[in-house]
Amino acid sequence: MSILSGNGTIDKQFLKDRISYLLREKCYITISPDVMYLMEKSYEEETSDSAKEMLRTMIENVRMAENQKKPVCQSPGFPTAYIRWGKGTDITGLKDILKEEIVNDTKDGFLRPSMVHPLTRKNTGDNSGVGVPNMELEYEPTLDFMEVLISFKGCGAELGNAIKIFTPAQIGENAKGIKEFVIDTVIKAGGKPCPPIALGVGIGGQMDVAAKLSRRAVSVRKWTDHSPDPEIARMEEEILGMINQLGIGPGGVGGKATALAVKIESAYTHIAICPVAVNFHCWVARRGGMRIYPTGRIEYLFEGKDKK
Amino acid sequence: MKEMSLTTPITEEQVLSLDVNDTVYITGIVYTARDMAHLKLRQLLLCKENLPEDFRGGVIFHAGPVVKKVDGGWEIWVIGPTTSIRMEPYAEMVGQLGVKVIVGKGGMGEDTLQSLAKYGGVYLLAAPGCGVTHAEAVKKVLRVHWLAELSVPEAIWVLEVNKWGPLIVGMDAHGRSIFKCIALKASNVKERFFKVR
Repeated sequence: MSILSGNGTIDKQFLKDRISYLLREKCYITISPDVMYLMEKSYEEETSDSAKEMLRTMIENVRMAENQKKPVCQSPGFPTAYIRWGKGTDITGLKDILKEEIVNDTKDGFLRPSMVHPLTRKNTGDNSGVGVPNMELEYEPTLDFMEVLISFKGCGAELGNAIKIFTPAQIGENAKGIKEFVIDTVIKAGGKPCPPIALGVGIGGQMDVAAKLSRRAVSVRKWTDHSPDPEIARMEEEILGMINQLGIGPGGVGGKATALAVKIESAYTHIAICPVAVNFHCWVARRGGMRIYPTGRIEYLFEGKDKK
Repeated sequence: MKEMSLTTPITEEQVLSLDVNDTVYITGIVYTARDMAHLKLRQLLLCKENLPEDFRGGVIFHAGPVVKKVDGGWEIWVIGPTTSIRMEPYAEMVGQLGVKVIVGKGGMGEDTLQSLAKYGGVYLLAAPGCGVTHAEAVKKVLRVHWLAELSVPEAIWVLEVNKWGPLIVGMDAHGRSIFKCIALKASNVKERFFKVR
């Protein structure tokens, strides 16, 4: 059986149904399983009473949301879709489907109408709008599937984000300057980005590249994984260890669990600069992803706890 | 650390008895207000126009709900705190309005701390990202202001809540803020990481 027509276009109704399922079952009413695993682990390891109570409430809230089919959080944040596809498939119509489903799901109470004109602040009332959802497209000719990954990232967390263009001298020995910038940014944000957070750090390219990498790092990767680059993996662990000694704690109430993960993505940059973008993700990791194969087989991302 | 149940309208005496880290449960009336509602309240005050509510002894919740229409009325489907620091520019105004309790997430700054001490108020922390849990405490939507103009999240929703909590006192009327103390401690820890060895 094939869900493709002759020119590689996926059957529109099939795609619409699968995306609707992905959104309604995996994106709004729960958090991704890898993050739930880390939340439960944090609860076990937390020692302060108020921090433990905060984590207990958060975990309980996810269970209630799943049972009652309600969105975990009242704020949908801002949606970004990461799409990868290969030579055999065609993404015609995908953007329209995503836009339509988001509007439908808003009408059905899964998403609060939260998209406004950036200056007039006029709300469209249904989460439609120019640039919504943001689409990040990646064509890789050899892929034998189409990957659709949608991430709704809270915007209270956005308020803590920071970007700095380092000079080579400012990077310092063992990237001390960069680490210090990251830690300062976390302290400044305190409880505002809904800790326990995950931190996406984009390093390299120019400003735009670093910013996109920072969002991608924390949206696309499992929060339980490790960077394949051993140098980067070490830095992720080191920064995570530092953050969790700061004592900001869940909800900013004080405690051990300030961050669940630090994810760094990098690109080569110019001899004169090193852009670094720091991107906060709240604990409410509403995201889902799937790989659609030409046979119609679907493989969901983020399932299982530690496996990549 | 004590636990306290408050019923609106909340008195100055009740507020003064609260200390940071206390746990609070609220019963009574709560007004949601976020960025645009605060801005509009300020504009009305500047023009000496009437306000839609008397906020004296009141509770302001930094929140924008997801609502459903039921039998001609409204149901709060999910509701939870938004990042309070955005409302920091209105610290003095909120104190002047007679608001006794602010509920939100992430904490607020020095201006709010001063206003809470000056007018007698507390800032309470609600568990962030817990929209379903908080909605359980909402019994009824009494009325809504500025819905057409500001839209669902930014309107002022007047809610009746029952035993809403636990909410944690993050800033009290005595000039204390857990956020300030936590940030100070975090900065000291950071100094240890990066000092020249």
